[in-house]
Amino acid sequence: MTEVYIYDAVRTPCGKGDTAGALFQVKPLDLLNRCLKALSNRNTFETEHINDAILGCVVPFGDQGDNVMKTALLYSGWSKEVPGMQINRFQASGLEAISLAAGKITAGWGDLMIAGGLESPSRVRRSNFRGAISSDPNIINLIGSIPSGMSADLLATLHNIDRIEIDEYALASQDKAFTAQKAGCFDNSIIPIYDQNNILLLNQDEVLNPTIHSEEIAAMDTIFPKWGRAGFEVAALKKYPLLEKIKAFHTVGNIAPMADGAALVLLGNKEKGKKLGLTAKAKILMASTVSSDLSIMHLGGVKAAEKAIQQAKLKVKDIDLWYTNESFGALGVYFQKHFSLPANRLNACGGTIAFGEPIGALGAMLLSMLLNDLERQGLKRGLISIAAEGGMGSCMIIEIV
Amino acid sequence: MIKYKKDTDNIVTLTIDMKGRQENVINHNNCDLWRPIIDHLQKEKKKGVLKGIIITSTKKNFLEGGDLEYLYTTKEAEKIYELATKLSQFFRDLEHPGVSVVAAINGNALGLGFEMALACHHRIALDSSDIRLGHPEISFGLMPGSGGVIRLLWLLGLEKAFHILTNGRKYRPREALKVGIIDEVAPTHKDMLEQAKKWLMSQDEAIRPWDKSGGRIPGGTANHPKTIRLIQQLTADLSKNTYNNYPAHQSILDTLVEGSKVDFDTALKVERRQFTQLILHPKTSNMIKTFWYDYNAIKKGINRPKGFGKFRPKEVGVIGAGRMGSGITFCCIKRGIKVVLKDVSKPIAELGKKYTKEQLAVRASNDTITVQEAISLLDNLTTTEKTENFKDCDLVIEAVYENEMIKSKAIKETEKIIDEYALLGTNTISIPITKLAKSSFRPEKYVGLHFFYPVEDVPLVEIVKGKDTSDETIAQAFDFVRAIRKIPIIVKDAWGFYAARVQNTYILEGVTLLQEGYPAALIENLGLQAGMPKGALAFADDMSLKMVLKYEQQAAVHYGSKYVAHPAVATLVTMTEELGRTGRFKGNGFYEYVKNESRMLWSELGEHFMVTKESFDSQEIMERMLFVQVIEAIWCMQEKVVNSAAEANLGSVYGWGFPAFSGGVLQYVNSYGLDAFIKKCSVYKKKYGPRFSAPSLLKKMQKEGKEF
Repeated sequence: MTEVYIYDAVRTPCGKGDTAGALFQVKPLDLLNRCLKALSNRNTFETEHINDAILGCVVPFGDQGDNVMKTALLYSGWSKEVPGMQINRFQASGLEAISLAAGKITAGWGDLMIAGGLESPSRVRRSNFRGAISSDPNIINLIGSIPSGMSADLLATLHNIDRIEIDEYALASQDKAFTAQKAGCFDNSIIPIYDQNNILLLNQDEVLNPTIHSEEIAAMDTIFPKWGRAGFEVAALKKYPLLEKIKAFHTVGNIAPMADGAALVLLGNKEKGKKLGLTAKAKILMASTVSSDLSIMHLGGVKAAEKAIQQAKLKVKDIDLWYTNESFGALGVYFQKHFSLPANRLNACGGTIAFGEPIGALGAMLLSMLLNDLERQGLKRGLISIAAEGGMGSCMIIEIV
Repeated sequence: MIKYKKDTDNIVTLTIDMKGRQENVINHNNCDLWRPIIDHLQKEKKKGVLKGIIITSTKKNFLEGGDLEYLYTTKEAEKIYELATKLSQFFRDLEHPGVSVVAAINGNALGLGFEMALACHHRIALDSSDIRLGHPEISFGLMPGSGGVIRLLWLLGLEKAFHILTNGRKYRPREALKVGIIDEVAPTHKDMLEQAKKWLMSQDEAIRPWDKSGGRIPGGTANHPKTIRLIQQLTADLSKNTYNNYPAHQSILDTLVEGSKVDFDTALKVERRQFTQLILHPKTSNMIKTFWYDYNAIKKGINRPKGFGKFRPKEVGVIGAGRMGSGITFCCIKRGIKVVLKDVSKPIAELGKKYTKEQLAVRASNDTITVQEAISLLDNLTTTEKTENFKDCDLVIEAVYENEMIKSKAIKETEKIIDEYALLGTNTISIPITKLAKSSFRPEKYVGLHFFYPVEDVPLVEIVKGKDTSDETIAQAFDFVRAIRKIPIIVKDAWGFYAARVQNTYILEGVTLLQEGYPAALIENLGLQAGMPKGALAFADDMSLKMVLKYEQQAAVHYGSKYVAHPAVATLVTMTEELGRTGRFKGNGFYEYVKNESRMLWSELGEHFMVTKESFDSQEIMERMLFVQVIEAIWCMQEKVVNSAAEANLGSVYGWGFPAFSGGVLQYVNSYGLDAFIKKCSVYKKKYGPRFSAPSLLKKMQKEGKEF
């Protein structure tokens, strides 16, 4: 089987995903443009060598609409021969784009590709483009769809995770992120964003909240959902009738905020890399995709990781570093407990509670962080597992070469 | 049948006056009669000799409609869709002649009749508190199907339309004006026609908002982000309020959402398809059977003893100003009946007046009565501490504390005062009427009137016939209950009468499940999901565990040597005697009670009743909790505690909240299939005990090929 190598991984800083964010004034296309430019500048390939460019993007409308990947390739002056596409697997989109490209390369249908993700919620709000799963009353009630926050509360209730654990986890995430940022851990992979006059807009992750402390976070009100909680509880209890009620745990302090950002990876087979003089950073060992009950979507991350580890014939102890999304604090707590991971092996440079989540780019962002982290710590094997809406999960295991 | 009159201003008045019937009715059969009129009007319009149209009626009602009987028996989707199309097209033509049409609503316009009013450009109703307007279809598990849903969507927006269609209220004109389903009210019939004409003279062209280019739905379509948030909320509320057991609520929301995304005529098709689907839904059939056929049967008096003249109570006495007495007082006052409310002292009696005043104020504030009406109604209430004040009463209802001695005393005192024709009623939940009647000098005029708490909300009253209660008394009690617009069911004077006896089986089954090792949360969740208003354990707490036990002890006496001890008894004894937890009233039961917080299951319950079941079959548990009630109700039929399926069904839904979508306890069997039900009984009997034995009445019905 052809092995797939990661030759480079770049990402923009994560900007606040609202109108107060530094990247609000930037077109989503420009975020991709910066990443594409960085990839071609940092590496020795001609753009016509790229067989395909696959992009995860969860709200592909407006500024991100009409196949934003192909648009970005044209905008960035890449060869007209490079095709582009956009996919959606919610939070796992960016990771899935990389898996898809890797799969094509493994199959021998291509030898060098670009994959990653983009999301600019400050510019394209998801709530303006809702699909049937969250806005069609017939579908919602038929399939028992509940808001993600409620689903995270359900996870915490089912596994006796309490508010204090979640809050402590969130504070640790902020702490790790701030420490990593100060130490310059991401300097290698972050592509600063400039305007057309080369005036700097943002060169490091913007969302971090290093001053938050335990009293502040403990005093925050739970937020999910502000409305309709009783109704969604009914839907959830239909599937989990052993619970008396679903407790509320999540606050603005212990969930991942929305963020703007893009991340891209250059990947190909060994032969092509050698021919073009590219330096491989890591190889992809395994990838997996799973789905389970959508009303408890966050099991997806754990299940995907278990499946990938098993498929790769590895053991939990064989993985040196783990990255997973902390869309809601309970996910991180549950993930960590499930695999009995020490804090310095899970989201070691901080998690999405601190960085925020550019939803479509999330997987590619985490891959870039993991790669950085493995290189920095001189470790070998790493895993990214993402819990996605709809009960899905995606995972990828990489190994430094 | 439709009179045509044209005045000098070229305004045509069409007066509906259907021959040979009391009410004007529109349905798929007679809407063709309008065709030539509409064609004629279109011709006049072309000639320029038509300014506007007024539609009104000379009958008591404006127009009512629908043909539930036809819909109930038609089982072909194409036929139903076609009839809805025909009506829909007629309404479309009505709003299309190019001139404005005003509905001058002089009487009730409900259901399909109101759909026609909505198809007029302007609606003016006579300001009378007797008139009712709107869409009550939801009470039969239905929705409008000929444009009513989509027109309300376009006139009022998605949210308001949803609430109007799902609350099923029949609005009085002023309230209708407030909610926006009519445009004007008129003080008199003459004013109404003048206002209609004035409006028509002021109009140039008649184009409905949905036929205008650029016309928009108020609040936006379902694609609008703000509306999406609203829809998510409505969807969640729907789950909470119905447990998704009521397809009509869902269909209405779906129609509004889908209908907002397409053009008006396509939206009408969406509405008709949902309507058709609903008509064919078995739950709709159940609800039509019970809330139309059974309800009407009781209204017509199938259970009222024949041959006695109508009793019209003018003045009612109520003894006891507690929550039951106050509720009964209010129900009488609301219907304009004079009430003398007595308690041990005047200040205590005044509490009942205060309650009535508050209830009237609530109704005045939401426009179901006027402030003036509220004041004059309250004038009909006298409070007293003297029994003498009952001397002019046609009926006295005793609603004192549930104690035989106190009740007997009240009976004796009252009989000394009231005249020989007056009725004496007792509101009791557990003391046999025949026993209480021993204190009466005239037991033939003495009857049980079992109201349910909260009296103003529960539409059911059990009329309990004691051994000596005369048929005439029963007939009069029936008339009284109808006079306060409640549903009377006549029950035998046996333990728990009907409602409490059957309800108790649900509670006992829930307690049994706990004893079997199922977790309490599961029992409560599944009870709610099965369609019951509360979990079985919550019901037990509300009723008090001692009362639950008492009913079961009465059952033991009733069945004598044939009695088989219910497995729940042991648990109830442990709870009440060993653990001292008797229910909500004492602040501890299966639940824990903290002031101002919603109750939570007792945290130590699992220590006393170990959870031993590792897996569960939700369907079977839900079925068990419903089956026990159904079987007990069949025993009640067999033992003639109730005498008709209509009473048993309505009594179950209104009395203790048996799921309305099932059509009631006995309709449940019809819908389940008699053979299948009997078979399942024997399965459960083997697994869970003899309480699941099918009563012999069922087997007899099976032989005779009958259903309830």
